[in-house]
Amino acid sequence: MASRGSRIVEFRFGNFVASLIWLILIVLIIVSLAALPLIFIVLFYAPLPPINGQVLTPYLFLSMMVDPTRTLPVLKFIMHTELFRVAVFPGFSFAAIFAAVTIFVERKFLAKMQLRVGPLYAGKIEGILQLIADGLKLISKEIIIPSGADKPIFWAAPIAFVAASAAVISLIPVAPGWVVSNTDVGLLAAFAILGFFPLIALLFSWASNSKYPFIGGLRALHQMIAFEIPFILSALSVVILSGSLNLTHIAAAQSPYWYIFFLPISAFVFFISSLAELERIPFDLPEAESEIVAGWLTETSGMIYGLLQLGTYIKLYALAALFVTLFLGGWAGPQIFPQVLGPPGPQSPLIQLLTLRPIYNPIIVNDVFWFSIKTFGIIMLMLLPRGINPRIRIDILLHTGWYKLIVLSFINMFIALALVYGGVFGPGGVLTPH
Amino acid sequence: MSTEFSNETLKKDSSNSGLQIVKESEEDRLMTLSVGPQHPGSGHFRFTVKVDGDYIVHCDPDPGYVHRGEEKMCEYRNFIQNIPHLERPVIHDSNNITYSYSLAVEELTNIQVPRRGQFIRAIASELNRQVYTLYWLAIYGIFLGHSTMFMWPTGDRELFIDLLEMLTGARVTHAFNIPGGVRNDMPVGFSEKCLRNISYFEKRLVEYENIFYNNPLMRQRTEGVGLLTKEDAIKLGVTGSVLRASNTPYDIRKAEPYDVYNEIDFKVQYMKSSDCFARAYVPLLDMRESCYIMRQLLDKIPQSGEVRAKLQPNPKGPAGEAYRRVESGRGALGYYIISDGTPKPYRVKISVGSFRNMLALPHLLVGAKLADMPSIYWALNYWPVEADR
Amino acid sequence: MSNKGNHNVNDPKANSSTKIEPSGAQIGIKQDDALVLENLIVNKLVSKFGDKIKIAYTKPLRIKVEVDRSDIIEVASFIKESLLFDHAESVAGTDYPKGNYIEVVYHLGSYTVDELGAHVLALATRTGREDSSLPSLVNIYKSVEYHERETFEMLGVYFEGHPRNDRFLLPEDWADIPPMRKEFRIKGR
Repeated sequence: MASRGSRIVEFRFGNFVASLIWLILIVLIIVSLAALPLIFIVLFYAPLPPINGQVLTPYLFLSMMVDPTRTLPVLKFIMHTELFRVAVFPGFSFAAIFAAVTIFVERKFLAKMQLRVGPLYAGKIEGILQLIADGLKLISKEIIIPSGADKPIFWAAPIAFVAASAAVISLIPVAPGWVVSNTDVGLLAAFAILGFFPLIALLFSWASNSKYPFIGGLRALHQMIAFEIPFILSALSVVILSGSLNLTHIAAAQSPYWYIFFLPISAFVFFISSLAELERIPFDLPEAESEIVAGWLTETSGMIYGLLQLGTYIKLYALAALFVTLFLGGWAGPQIFPQVLGPPGPQSPLIQLLTLRPIYNPIIVNDVFWFSIKTFGIIMLMLLPRGINPRIRIDILLHTGWYKLIVLSFINMFIALALVYGGVFGPGGVLTPH
Repeated sequence: MSTEFSNETLKKDSSNSGLQIVKESEEDRLMTLSVGPQHPGSGHFRFTVKVDGDYIVHCDPDPGYVHRGEEKMCEYRNFIQNIPHLERPVIHDSNNITYSYSLAVEELTNIQVPRRGQFIRAIASELNRQVYTLYWLAIYGIFLGHSTMFMWPTGDRELFIDLLEMLTGARVTHAFNIPGGVRNDMPVGFSEKCLRNISYFEKRLVEYENIFYNNPLMRQRTEGVGLLTKEDAIKLGVTGSVLRASNTPYDIRKAEPYDVYNEIDFKVQYMKSSDCFARAYVPLLDMRESCYIMRQLLDKIPQSGEVRAKLQPNPKGPAGEAYRRVESGRGALGYYIISDGTPKPYRVKISVGSFRNMLALPHLLVGAKLADMPSIYWALNYWPVEADR
Repeated sequence: MSNKGNHNVNDPKANSSTKIEPSGAQIGIKQDDALVLENLIVNKLVSKFGDKIKIAYTKPLRIKVEVDRSDIIEVASFIKESLLFDHAESVAGTDYPKGNYIEVVYHLGSYTVDELGAHVLALATRTGREDSSLPSLVNIYKSVEYHERETFEMLGVYFEGHPRNDRFLLPEDWADIPPMRKEFRIKGR
């Protein structure tokens, strides 16, 4: 107990030991009552491989975790399970990290263009922890639902938004074999999922029961529908050239030359349409701040707003990755990673362990690296118009989307057809890889 | 029960349903939006619009949210005490709103301002004009959605605010002009710093043109929008850059030169196209011309002399009235002061450019698209606090 | 720099065009052709209306004409059509409890005629302090619409023919007397 008038709290050894014991007790309770059963439940349902002729029981698994020389094969196994793919690597966490880095880079990038500094104080270096600060702030805010709002839709729409964005992620191949769902109609599935977004925007704005979201929702509907057609048509030229709707095949078919050299107009149309789908400036009418307060996001607050922002940036990554897959060759790039990290030839197990030899695959790492670089470049290009352009008006937007872009994508489709019939692409073509 | 539907009413006779559909009236189709004081697109001002789809059919301005009763307060303070509260309606342009007041009081009380004081007053007025116009331009950029055009003028404003702080001691509300001259003299080094800042600023104006005025999207949104013909502009009595954008080259500094403006050589900037783009472009031309005026003022200012006439403790003049005007950032700012021989004015009427330009708002908004609303509204150079006084 | 000493009225370095006369001193017009255009305007008005108007003063660039409320529409139309003062800059209402009248002054300017660009013609009319009403000039000068509305709510003068004699700047729940009247005292002063 601090004495009256002094600001120094006295150190009592007894209290210190008591708090330590409390801490150990609470950790033990949590581990034994919650963590351990959870691990066992997961291991019960996850398919466990036989290692060295022995079925991997949970106890064996836990003991292997402690032994480093056996951890790596288990890790390698885990990396090839479905859960890992969906949740971590080409799936949600990868996209979320990309989204987080994008948000931060966007703020800094825009700030430099506008002759200011951007986030500076959160974190020691140039405000790098700003996102965590924003996330904590959003979590701690109260979620206010307007009276008369349709509560089920109001709660469900942001989650549906994030889910739809994440669903597009699941189709994108990051490296050959590393895709969450390798369907033969991958491109078509991507467009089908993208067709959900106008619906979600409209439902959410209607459920907000207020005038400004209503206007914003209608604008979002008009905008997204108007730009879906040039979007699909420009991707159709790629399908004509590659002969397949499977995204992995499309990316693999570009190994001699990237499609952007043959289809520059389509790439341009695809880029503009994806800016419109993402509601980025100059196409951010549905959230036009000075006219309709915040458009269809007006009534969002707290974590609902956070989820919508997360969904928006994941969608940004998804569409940029789609652009890279369709036009920029996916993961193609010169091999710059060495065959083994560290000294080559047979080495002692410790060196093998430290240089990650069991799980290191130079080709895959190289593909992932080039894919990330290209996607990041396209994301930066999508961030650029925000610092340069004002907002467009709805009638100019619809005129552009329905007239000009459709005509342009048709032009490139004819070029693509000419290339196929001329024997450059297509089955038995000159540039088709075998 | 009738089976044919008429356009007028469709009534079901069955008693338990009571369904009744009447023809939709005009009022039902319209949606009333209140672009109210809590709106990122309006400032301290409210106007209601009725929209039919995307077109505005009716607009009703509703000012008064920041009404302070400036004119009534003037009657309770003497001529000098009125200066600090009179500059609050437009804090960014405070040197101009007190300039006009000082001119009117000097006319009533027969005070002669020394020459150096007149020059410093004009320099401060031009600096304030830049400050206000840059702020206006920043808000215009953000209304169109152009965030870079919001940041750049706000940053460049600091050039002039630094100069004004050097000159008067305060950044925005200066209380610098008083009847009889200015409060204190220019500090040493002010001229050089002013010329340096003006040179840098003139290069920045070129960059503004590149990023904002020559941007095709901005042109698409403002060209041809909100046409205000010359006859309508004169009939509605608008003033300032709105008037000059409608092919009427009227500037009080040229038409009725006050203080030293008859010795300065400058051209009145005006444009013929009378649309929102012209109303956005004329202030840029004005800023360029203002830099040129400042260079001449700094060149011609007498090197020494007093800056303030010596006044009696409670200055008063014979009973009479005076009406003087000054060209401020928004247009002609006129003061009509009636004095009854006492040190306190009997009546002060302030005629501000924003109040006069507000009349053009319903005229221009009716028939416009909802998306053009912020563009038209802010291009009228309307400062809500000033209009309310 | 010190500001002490007498103000130098006859400073030889001063530009000769800034005059020493009290009124219009800073405007910078020359002495000789003062009041030519003003006298012309005054003559035109007097020759047309004679006794109905009274010229209160003729200063450089400022003329004040006083009219009775029954003639004001006629005089205003004449000023607009013949003298080419095409817009009204402000409408000022002043309460004179000593003379028991309210005076409303319209300041008129001209954008179309270059020579009249600096001139401001003040058109004044009077009405009583009870049941104050005046004919509205909104059909002649459209630019007085909001100014008259403000005068209505600040002084209580009803403008006949004005489309909206309504609350403008004051809050909707204003229940006191019109604030620009001299009886209305600001609290604490």
